[in-house]
Amino acid sequence: MTEELKVAVDRKPNGAVLYTKGYINNVGGEEIANRAYELMDADVRTLLLNLRETKIVNSIGISILIEIIEKMIDKGGTIAFCCLTPVIHKTFQIMGLANYARIFDSEEAAMKELGL
Amino acid sequence: MTTTAERQMELTLPMVADIEIAAARAAGNLARELGMSSEKIDEMTHAIIEACINAREHSGCADNRIYLRFVGTSKGDGSRIDVWITDHGRGFDPEEARSRRPAAGVSHKRGRGLQLIEAHMDEVSISTTSGGGTTIHMVKYEKKES
Repeated sequence: MTEELKVAVDRKPNGAVLYTKGYINNVGGEEIANRAYELMDADVRTLLLNLRETKIVNSIGISILIEIIEKMIDKGGTIAFCCLTPVIHKTFQIMGLANYARIFDSEEAAMKELGL
Repeated sequence: MTTTAERQMELTLPMVADIEIAAARAAGNLARELGMSSEKIDEMTHAIIEACINAREHSGCADNRIYLRFVGTSKGDGSRIDVWITDHGRGFDPEEARSRRPAAGVSHKRGRGLQLIEAHMDEVSISTTSGGGTTIHMVKYEKKES
């Protein structure tokens, strides 16, 4: 039994938006990390993760998201999230992720604030 | 007169990748039958996911099985779901596990499953003995608006 996560990337003039669909577990987290690191290697310094089509996360997946945030912070960049379900928002706060990445209710608000 | 409805379900699941999703879906279906709100169901299913992952990753059990029991009760003033998740593994020290999460922050990335379980559920109790396995009993309530 596997729950595959799909990640789509939309490059913007000043960064990129990653759209996730499915379960963010260890495998899903690594898939997001691979895409994020490719973008960082291409000098993208602002990433927005839109989790509108992700309804379940686990602590291992979140730990990988935190590693991505750490790498982006080391590079002087910014990672933000939008369109979280209430339980994912709560989980991010418990895990401490919300202290290091901004969270927006909508993609529109995030795009405007981040200048993407 | 108060009407009480009860639903019960027992599952034995193999410890394979993503089996926690099967457990969470089964509990979610039962909760929906009882009329529990989607937000409460989401919190409960995330707690079940973490408990199953802990059993799979840390129990070291020989039978490679997770044993689950769900009991849902609906009364006039609301509903509750009791969840028991058992493994026959090595057991663990809950206090030691809690001490591994001293503060929220980027430097403490792993070992937060128990913290999430306790945050998402209304009651959590752990029965564990060295070499004798672990059972986590969790309860989720939903009070009806009067």
